[in-house]
Amino acid sequence: MIKTLFGLDQLGTPTALFLALLLGLAFGFALERAGFGSSRRLAGIFYFRDMAVLKVMFTAVVTAMLGLSYTVAMGWIAMEQVYLMPSVYGAQVVGGLAFGVGFVMSGWCPGTAAVGVASGKLDALVFLCGATLGSVFFNELFPIIRPLYAWGDSGTSFAFSSLGMSQGGFAFLFTLVAVGCFWGAEYVEKRVAGTGAYFKTRFLKAFSLALVVLSAGLLIFVGEKTGPEGSAAKAGMNEKALLQAIESAEDHIDPEALADRMVAGEEGLLVIDVRPPAEYAGFHLRGAVNVPIAELAAHLESRKNQGAVVLYSNGMTHPAQARDSLARGGHRNVYILTDGLGGFIDQCLKPASLRDEPVPQSVAAKIAAWRDYFANPDAPPARPVKVEAPKSSLPGLVATQWLAENLGRKGLKVIDVRDQKEYNGGHVPGALALNPESVRGNVEGLPSMLLPPGLLGSKLSLMGIEATDTVVLVYSGDKLRDATLVGMAFERLGHTGYAILDGGYEKWIAEKRPTGTLLPVVRRSNYSVNPGADTFTVDSRTVLAELKGGTIIIDVRPAGYFTGKKRDEARGGHIPGAVNRDFTLDLASTGNGASVKPTEELAAAYSTLVPSKDSPVIIHCRTGHQASQTYFVMKHVLGYLNVRWYDAGWTEWAARPELPVEP
Amino acid sequence: MGTNQEKYMNPYLAGVLLGLVLLASFLVLGAGLGASSGIARLGAFVEGCILPGHVRSTDYFGKWGENPLRYYLVFMLVGTFLGGLFSAILAGRTKIEVEKGKSFSSRNRLLLALGGGVIAGFASRLAQGCTSGQALTGSALLLSGSLIFLVCIFVGGYAAAWFVRRQWHD
Repeated sequence: MIKTLFGLDQLGTPTALFLALLLGLAFGFALERAGFGSSRRLAGIFYFRDMAVLKVMFTAVVTAMLGLSYTVAMGWIAMEQVYLMPSVYGAQVVGGLAFGVGFVMSGWCPGTAAVGVASGKLDALVFLCGATLGSVFFNELFPIIRPLYAWGDSGTSFAFSSLGMSQGGFAFLFTLVAVGCFWGAEYVEKRVAGTGAYFKTRFLKAFSLALVVLSAGLLIFVGEKTGPEGSAAKAGMNEKALLQAIESAEDHIDPEALADRMVAGEEGLLVIDVRPPAEYAGFHLRGAVNVPIAELAAHLESRKNQGAVVLYSNGMTHPAQARDSLARGGHRNVYILTDGLGGFIDQCLKPASLRDEPVPQSVAAKIAAWRDYFANPDAPPARPVKVEAPKSSLPGLVATQWLAENLGRKGLKVIDVRDQKEYNGGHVPGALALNPESVRGNVEGLPSMLLPPGLLGSKLSLMGIEATDTVVLVYSGDKLRDATLVGMAFERLGHTGYAILDGGYEKWIAEKRPTGTLLPVVRRSNYSVNPGADTFTVDSRTVLAELKGGTIIIDVRPAGYFTGKKRDEARGGHIPGAVNRDFTLDLASTGNGASVKPTEELAAAYSTLVPSKDSPVIIHCRTGHQASQTYFVMKHVLGYLNVRWYDAGWTEWAARPELPVEP
Repeated sequence: MGTNQEKYMNPYLAGVLLGLVLLASFLVLGAGLGASSGIARLGAFVEGCILPGHVRSTDYFGKWGENPLRYYLVFMLVGTFLGGLFSAILAGRTKIEVEKGKSFSSRNRLLLALGGGVIAGFASRLAQGCTSGQALTGSALLLSGSLIFLVCIFVGGYAAAWFVRRQWHD
């Protein structure tokens, strides 16, 4: 299959510009060979003196049409790979009539005038100056002519589908008309100018026969098909489009996802109905605006790459073409609704009771909510639903079920702390990606220290998070500590409204909950920092001072490091009097992921280390990362009250010779 | 040069050649031939040189960005000129002149060319293409609007032909 530069969205690349130049060379050469470097010859058609324009033009149209039809029929290229201009009947009738007047006045059209200038014709040069001026006038008058520019816009429309004919049949008739015109043109030339050199010649007979045979052959190849808009090809097209959507999906949005995002009142989401105004007036998705395809580019210019723009029509062909054309103009935030309006109605608005297959309770509830919202366009706009408080107190773990129910609600922010690659491949819809390492850095010579509150607040502001938001952190695999490290950042800011998704992303996936690849729409916030909230981070002086007291120091590094058998630092071993509890002991594998062990099991294990819930505890590891997990487990899962965190950990302790070490 | 210039190519064969170039454009670029877009972008560039801030704020040219000339159809227009030049030199058909009937003045012929140019330039923006982009390319794709545009060119042309016939009278 041929992939064109348009299909690859690479028409703006230097390669494309160079190839366009080469094709232009061939174009100019062909025009000049045909004698179109002469205005007298071009204008000849309007006085029946010289019908070359008709002969050359019709032959070229028929040749390219036959060539393209055969290449498509052979399966070498798909029509989606070719840019199809929209039909805007009103504008093209008025434009065509005016263009004809300009053509006969000047004897030139834009392409031939370029060849005319190359042939030394001063009138061609003057024509080109005029045409440039005409374009400038158009630009200046555009605000006034805009309605005319979009008058009769019908999107991509094939003549054969408009006439209800098959593509092969239409192409055959079109070729017969062309051949008829050739004979007519020769006859007229003979009568008017005494030329008509090819009238009844063997050449014209053979040429006519060749065209008719070739176009008749097309009947056999594509006669049954009625093109992308037709009914016969429709099922196949949709299936193919659907498969592609599943494969790449980057320019599609599923009806369910759109419904959720519209109901949630997502800021910056613009849904555009590109159907004719009459159909829009009949029914449209609540909140959708009506913009004809011809005006999309102008309409969306100010919103280029801001927020998500979703186009829908009855099918997917028109929005897909429009999306491609917008993508050529640099719009990267335009999506099309999978399966169009019909698909949306089937998937989201068809009552659960009318469906062929029974739907689960939770889905039925969703359908009812969607119907409530979309079927009553006159109802007052939905007030954004506030996120509800989870059953467990925060900070803590929250269930996937709770997150699914609250997704998209006001005041909920989801932060995905997995690798960016994993995030790009799919994430909880609306989740913000955050590299957990970005909350730490070098502070006064100590590496990988949690950043000061001011810096953390600035980061959260850039992510659009407010101090009042409920934040859910999503980890994957056994990387709970990535979530707890980011959790420490929230702790430092006194932001208690945060939770970690119990079971992580794997549980979310295993339960077949929604995912997406779209980036969230974020407006910067002004996170208000509470600078004095961190009373739990301690430094080496505090640890040293409490060594002789009753404070329990828990070293959560794997046992080998605790005993000094293994070491990555200057000195191995541990802080005198510290006890060891490997952080990984708190996790239970769930197959492909991991979650926090059952609370009773953990409570029993920790009660042997720490006598009571209010005993003073200091937790450390090498860099503070692993310790953040134990801190979370002890404080927020088990409810220990006096837990502190020695962030600098063994990295600092081992590197300071004055601090005591026990082997 | 008129004496030793070659005869034009057989129009049907020239048409086949043109059709094959168009087909190549479909298969390589995924878009057909065009000329008026290149001219309009030249207009946007020229207007931008004179009134830089203004053009960026207009609804039509504005969306073409800082550098309207970096577009494939601009390069195609340059190619068209060069290809025409190559062929014209090869055929001995280069002569600096104003093409017109002997009895018609050069000044009036140039005024008609200018007026026709302004109308054609304007109309091709309105119809989103000219003889190349709509009539030729769109018709080969069997697009409804393009075929209607093609018919309307001839209706408009024949309707106005009588009024401007004198420019070709010898």
